[in-house]
Amino acid sequence: MKNLIHLFVTSALTLGAAAVMGQESGNLNVQTIVQKEEIVVDIDGRQRTQLVAATEVVPGDEVVYTITFHNISDKAAENVVVTNPIAAELTYIDRSAFGPGARIEFSVDGGRSYAVAEQLAVLEDDGETRPARPEDFTHIRWSLATDLVAGAQGVARFHARLN
Amino acid sequence: MKDIVGKPGGKLRQRSLSAIAALLILLSAPAWSAGTPAGTVIDNMAQVSFDVAGTPVTQDSNISSITVQERIDVVVTLQSPQILVAASDTNRALLFTVTNTGNGSEPFQLAIDSAIGGDDFDPIPAVPGIYFDTDASGDFTVGDIAYVSGTNDPVLAADASVDILLINDIPGAVNDGDIGRSQLTADSLTGTGAPGDVFVGQGDGGSDAVLGTTGGSGNDTGEYIVADVQISVLKSVTVLNQFGGSEPIPGATLTYTITVEVTNTGTASSTVFNDPIPANTTYAPGSISLNAGALTDLIDADAGELDTSGAPSIVVRLGDLTQADGIQTVTFDVTID
Repeated sequence: MKNLIHLFVTSALTLGAAAVMGQESGNLNVQTIVQKEEIVVDIDGRQRTQLVAATEVVPGDEVVYTITFHNISDKAAENVVVTNPIAAELTYIDRSAFGPGARIEFSVDGGRSYAVAEQLAVLEDDGETRPARPEDFTHIRWSLATDLVAGAQGVARFHARLN
Repeated sequence: MKDIVGKPGGKLRQRSLSAIAALLILLSAPAWSAGTPAGTVIDNMAQVSFDVAGTPVTQDSNISSITVQERIDVVVTLQSPQILVAASDTNRALLFTVTNTGNGSEPFQLAIDSAIGGDDFDPIPAVPGIYFDTDASGDFTVGDIAYVSGTNDPVLAADASVDILLINDIPGAVNDGDIGRSQLTADSLTGTGAPGDVFVGQGDGGSDAVLGTTGGSGNDTGEYIVADVQISVLKSVTVLNQFGGSEPIPGATLTYTITVEVTNTGTASSTVFNDPIPANTTYAPGSISLNAGALTDLIDADAGELDTSGAPSIVVRLGDLTQADGIQTVTFDVTID
């Protein structure tokens, strides 16, 4: 019950912040898009991969999530941390997370704690611990090393496969 | 409804659940072997936290959603071993399993094809030739319900399977060792074609249906092998008494003659003749013969012996016999006690 109260308090605070700034009218404009890789053949017969909008997918498809964050205020955003959950129906594709100037960490416990991929471990049912695998990841976190100054834009991206 | 910001999405409506419920959902990762169910909506929302002049701020992204389409796949797997049959056998069954390996519910049309090339004979499909193994016996029994295309096409949920029997008769004109094949095909009633083909709006929940690697069609082939053999055994006895007569008196010798004949096209493998010494008689040592050739009483390299491990009996190993081997004749003598 303590957790529930805590979450309600958090949500109230979040609601307050959102009411002030909103999604696009605040300091940052944060957008996510989901795309699929599609192989196209150009007029010279060369194959190349391009990203197209993904709205419908089938199991086994690989999708690409791109998060852009644009500082539309006149103040620098410090200690910028981008967090994105990996839906239970998706499996993170190893080494696919991308983010210029960001330290990329993962969570295997629903976002409670984070570490770089190599340092994560999972407790098995038999009590043994094993190194975490990409399918264990529940969240990805990008921590920017530098401030996002006014007008600056950042990007974070990862690939996942539909289970 | 910001209370599960930063948690995995799932369906939109899951966002109206309490934060704790949402947390439980994300901790129990779904495990669908056929893949995420068709119609599932997966939402994504990123969250950015940062400080502005020392004040922490958290901001959400928009929600980007993908909808899981129905992927149509089906696999047919033969369960039966090679079935031994004889010429003119009727209602011989082959057992198959049809499995929906797609991620949605799908009806399948079944078809039997017994006119497959590359074998020695064509089995003759019974009418009807396809049955559900209703009683799960693995064989054709009275409880099994016939499949009628368009009437009781099996509708399989994702991952579900059904056992199907193909029923064939065996032609009369077949030879031993001949192989006849019969094939079961299961086609998605939504459609079949090349992997990746799309059937707009025909998936579960109004999603598009996409053909998976199987192209919406699966088949497997079973085999009948002819082992057509009949063994006839005839036994006769002649009596010769110590006075040169044929009265069966004590001390008279009984000569048993047993003929073994294999007919039809098959091979009787590792045939062994075994005949106990009759009661109230005693085996006459050294009297066993096979096709007029003497066999010793001992267990040795020749084909026969007197087996005394239990009640005394004559054992003769005739080996693999076909009709071409002709009549095999075993004789042995006993005396009346």
